Amino acid sequence: MSMRLNHLVVSHADSTLVDVATLNFERGRPVTIVGESGSGKSLLAHAIMGTLPANLTARGSLAMDGRTFDLSDRANRRGLWGRLMSLLPQEPALALDPTMRAQEQVAEGAASFTADSSGARRTAGTLLAALGLGHASRAFPHTLSGGMAQRVAFAAATIGGAPVLIADEPSKGLDERARTELAGLLKLHLDGGGILLTITHDLDLARELGGDVLVMKDAHIVEQGRARQVLTEPAHPYTRRLLEAEPANWNHAWARRGAPPEEGGTALVSGEGLSKAFGGQQLFSDLSVTIRAGERVSLGGPSGSGKTTLGNVLLRLLPPDAGYVHHADALRGGRLQKLYQDPALAFPARVVLWDSFGDVIRRHRLEPARLEELMASLGLTPALLNRRPGQVSGGELQRLAIIRAMLLEPALVFADEPTSRLDLITQELTVACLMDQVDRQGCALVLVTHDNALADAVTRRRIPLGIRDLQPQDKKAFARRKKHAEVVM
Amino acid sequence: MTASITTRRAPAAPAARVLRQRAVQAVGVVFLVSTACFAIVQSLPGDIAYRIAAGRYGYDQVTAASADTVRAELGLDRPAWQQLLDWLGDLISLDLGNSLVTGADVAGELGLYFSSSLQLAAAALVLALAVGATGGALAAARPGGALDRITTFWVSGARALPPFLLGLVLILVFSVHLGVLPAAGHGEASNFVLPAATLAVGLSGLFARVTRDAVAQIRQSEYVRFAATKGLGGRLVFLRHVLRNTGVTLIAYVGVQMLILIEGVIVVESLFAWPGLGHALVHAIFWRDIPMIQATAVALALLVVVLNTVVDLGSLAIDPRPRRREVVL
Repeated sequence: MSMRLNHLVVSHADSTLVDVATLNFERGRPVTIVGESGSGKSLLAHAIMGTLPANLTARGSLAMDGRTFDLSDRANRRGLWGRLMSLLPQEPALALDPTMRAQEQVAEGAASFTADSSGARRTAGTLLAALGLGHASRAFPHTLSGGMAQRVAFAAATIGGAPVLIADEPSKGLDERARTELAGLLKLHLDGGGILLTITHDLDLARELGGDVLVMKDAHIVEQGRARQVLTEPAHPYTRRLLEAEPANWNHAWARRGAPPEEGGTALVSGEGLSKAFGGQQLFSDLSVTIRAGERVSLGGPSGSGKTTLGNVLLRLLPPDAGYVHHADALRGGRLQKLYQDPALAFPARVVLWDSFGDVIRRHRLEPARLEELMASLGLTPALLNRRPGQVSGGELQRLAIIRAMLLEPALVFADEPTSRLDLITQELTVACLMDQVDRQGCALVLVTHDNALADAVTRRRIPLGIRDLQPQDKKAFARRKKHAEVVM
Repeated sequence: MTASITTRRAPAAPAARVLRQRAVQAVGVVFLVSTACFAIVQSLPGDIAYRIAAGRYGYDQVTAASADTVRAELGLDRPAWQQLLDWLGDLISLDLGNSLVTGADVAGELGLYFSSSLQLAAAALVLALAVGATGGALAAARPGGALDRITTFWVSGARALPPFLLGLVLILVFSVHLGVLPAAGHGEASNFVLPAATLAVGLSGLFARVTRDAVAQIRQSEYVRFAATKGLGGRLVFLRHVLRNTGVTLIAYVGVQMLILIEGVIVVESLFAWPGLGHALVHAIFWRDIPMIQATAVALALLVVVLNTVVDLGSLAIDPRPRRREVVL
């Protein structure tokens, strides 16, 4: 089979959000759309699927196996869901029902589930085992890591044998290893003769998938071609800009400074013989860490390795099981600040931003002019402060969080995955703003990240944490089961 | 290699933890409620001995002499703190004492009252859940639709109508005018209808509102959308995902409303002459039957604890997520 998208236009009131002429999809040939947030790439995927938000209108048509679907009718593809086309959701942790075991959530996607539920459960069990999750088939979602949840979601989306798989930002929040696993899963779908459309801002994922890459900007596709060519010799200026935004290609003045201070610089945070276990798993033991003034350090390691926990122990937000943490006097009075992964959770949702900042200024008797100065130097208009946190973009909100931390002229900033939810260009802008301030104020920085390229670009010293164990994947078994499913269909 | 064995206390099974916490709470409730009851009865106006004598011998026979006899017999002239300590001591040995008025064993009568109150509360709860949750789920199917507006009206109407007034209206309509249901009595299924309905009306409105909001919110969730794109039909998505997750919210809310239910039980039992704890409590207060007041008040408080325990266990059964998160990895 093949799939062809004709003249898709998605609009909201008067503004056009997606405008794409023709797109062809073939079996076994991945198509990946890259671009920054707000370029319309996710909307394109949802327009094909028929899952656009109700306030958006779509025009155009989708041809599939000789049938043509009018995209303005969002209901005409409902019957195809799970059987002909399927969606791998953005955040698998949210896409799994928190009250249902993994195997059940996979089994219910099988076409035979209503007729023969125990057969569907057996199929789901085999499929999960083939993905290396045999031990987790009875697990509830909250016990799964991001990568494991992604594999469960993949099993649930593909058990119905749908040849068309649409993956919407599937690597959001995944570390390098989980992303490689994800690429492997998506390739399995292709090897089984499937059609794959991936929406991502992660160029590494696009590289790993290969096939065709489409670059989208402001509702239009600005460049398309083979992945190898587009991602190495970009023709369009925007594609070049996108590639330059990858941390490995950064070239900023602050990156050359902040060298490790000579031994004997003032120790701001010193932890001795730290141990912490969680849920029966020893995260780290007998670990000694010293953070000195003006230093830039990263805490690295895959998700689940305990880097956030170590950070919280060093900040004295969590007590260690053994050992002690000492903070220098220089950190008193709010001169130790933390940036959170999701800024939306770091601001009170129903309070206007200006009030949140006003509280900080009053509490620490700061000059209000300093806020204006920082807003200007981070490229934000003062009008943003009249809004609530939900009304500004994720990148802007993270920059506001940086301003809130920097208002206090901290001696140490602790940034916990501050950009892992942002697209490449926004990430570069945000990190540049942060580092500009770190550089100017000469404060120390601890960066928690699973992105090695980002850690290399920003910090000079790395504290690596343990590698978690993963079950080996039995890809052959998966391929066998896929074939079997198609024969049955 | 040095074997470093880190022995960590295995976390108790959640159900066991709930039972343990609730057991501690029950003990605390018993002491607080009985002490408070005692203090309130002591501070009521009027001579207790006279009231008890009136209960025993009838108003016509109450004289200073008979009151003195009662006072001497029951030790009512002792200091209040001694009487309280006596009661608490008896309570620890599970001796609830005898009624000051009838002389009957309080514990024996209490069992009957407790079970009939529990029956009434359970019937009302089931009725309120059946009507409220169904109404709410249907209202959520079309927000802003006719049914949605009816439930909104139902909620405010039901909350504005206190149970004693609603009970009277129901008696007037169904017992006096239509004559289809008994106004009082106990023992037959038809006796349940009016008191349970009186209690259920107010609760069902609240349950409908909470169900409606929960269902509407869950329908927008990522996992419901994912279930749909997996290929599940609307009915399966509702049965397998919306229903259970709504239950999580609804059960927690039912727990909060238990106090309102028990409060209603006291009023409704008196109104329909239902031989339960509330009815017994009101009569015991009237006759200053201190052991009976204390026992029924404690039993009502324990009923709240018992129902809350059931609610806790129910929400544990359908929601596996941990209640407290110690470490974020």
